[in-house]
Amino acid sequence: MKTKVVLTFSPEASNQPITHNLIAKHHLLVNILRAEIDEVGGKMVLELSGKADDIRGGIDYLKANGVGVRPIKEGVRRDDEACTHCGMCVSICPTKALTMDLKTGKVSFNEDKCVACGVCIDACPPRAMEILI
Amino acid sequence: MTASEFKEYVKTNGVKKAAREVDVVTTGTFGAMCSSGAYINFGHADPPIKMQKIWLDGVPAQAGLAAVDGYIGATALDETNNMMHGGAHVIEDLVRGKAVRLRATGYGTDCYPRKEIDTYVSLRTVNQAVLMNVRNAYQNYAVATNSSAKTLYTYMGKLLPEFGNATFSSAGELSPLMNDPYYRTIGIGTRIFLGGTQGYVMWEGTQFNPGAPRTPNGVPKRPAGTLAVIGDLKQMNPEFLKGLTFTRYGSSLGIGIGVPIPILDEDMARCCAVTNNDILAAVFDYSQPTRSRPVLREVSYAELRSGDIDIKGKQVPTSPLSSMYKARQVSEVLKSWILKGEFTIQEPVQSFPKDRPLKTLDVRTEREAT
Ligand code: SF4
Ligand code: SF4
Repeated sequence: MKTKVVLTFSPEASNQPITHNLIAKHHLLVNILRAEIDEVGGKMVLELSGKADDIRGGIDYLKANGVGVRPIKEGVRRDDEACTHCGMCVSICPTKALTMDLKTGKVSFNEDKCVACGVCIDACPPRAMEILI
Repeated sequence: MTASEFKEYVKTNGVKKAAREVDVVTTGTFGAMCSSGAYINFGHADPPIKMQKIWLDGVPAQAGLAAVDGYIGATALDETNNMMHGGAHVIEDLVRGKAVRLRATGYGTDCYPRKEIDTYVSLRTVNQAVLMNVRNAYQNYAVATNSSAKTLYTYMGKLLPEFGNATFSSAGELSPLMNDPYYRTIGIGTRIFLGGTQGYVMWEGTQFNPGAPRTPNGVPKRPAGTLAVIGDLKQMNPEFLKGLTFTRYGSSLGIGIGVPIPILDEDMARCCAVTNNDILAAVFDYSQPTRSRPVLREVSYAELRSGDIDIKGKQVPTSPLSSMYKARQVSEVLKSWILKGEFTIQEPVQSFPKDRPLKTLDVRTEREAT
């Protein structure tokens, strides 16, 4: 099973090897989708994969160590009304989550391929791509 | 027929038959067109004001046209340079029927005693609101890429480092002036599709450069012709008019333009049969901050449209900046108007000049400029 979570830290919590512990002690695969950490703490978006029990255990471990945990269903969303299908995003998305149908010129967004890297957000001229953290 | 349908038709039936059977081809483009704006007459207040400075939702508009006429440019920004809400976004808000805040100041005259006003206006409350764009629908443009080590934010979009991507901004074979390369049917007075309603070509566009290098079939390989266009903002449709933001560059207006091209003869049919294979553009390295950047290579729109191009041995993914999807929509809507008899073809009242050298701005003395 896979789940995406947003973590919020205090500075103390960011000094702990939490990703290491999630991997080593809770047998999870951890994919860091986004991280913004500075002296006052930070935010991290992780994709955790593993057994349901392990994921639950990992999340409990995080909470016990003062890390705020909020699950997200999707990290990035497209406002289909606002998208003009200009195609700016297709050459910069590293995972090819955004692709253009060469026949119709329509750009489609495949959420499953998106790793919420955020590269497309400030590149989209009508600001149709939104990151939800 | 739309331009795409026409190209297919010529492939199977040949130019001769196409010239005989087809009357009009509809072209279309939808892209960021920075040199756009709208003039608005707000009506007179009581007591009246001669507006010297004007802001619409905080974005400055040009005054200096009598008392209550203003012009808001698409790339105008407020004093905080908020690119998320520039002149283009104000124009879109108006088209969406929203009320926008109008603030104006004046110095007060005997006939216009009022010195300031703070109110709301919408397309319903103003007299004229007219989209008047001085340079749109570029006949061909450049391809932008970036050889440097850092991401560049340009009017050609986000350019990733080390030739990470390349962007281009013309609708290629669908683009109006690509189908009439020598401006035989497009001139002053041509009726067009503009932002979802009918508008007109009012002049050659600024930086009109018919002398740009061309391929043997007449298609320019560099930025060449442009159009200055005009139309009633009150009739426009937000589907075809959109405020855009290019990060760290500013705001711009995305607008749909379509031009009908009458197939006068076989020559015109040949011009409209042009395909992306025949249209070339030059690739420039935008990390060079000079006016004359070196050309890295020439590339066809067919290659650009395929999703990646070769630059110095590297496969570089490409992005169009003009929407192929919306360009198609424009050409289809225009076609349907013509078929329903709602739109009639207007012959230009005057043709564009054939030669018009493109000038640059240099620092000169008064004598050098005279
Ligand atoms: S950059 Fe934005 S508007 Fe353009 S295709 Fe991508 S999501 Fe749509
Ligand atoms: S956030 Fe990153 S991975 Fe997701 S669509 Fe945008 S560029 Fe692609």
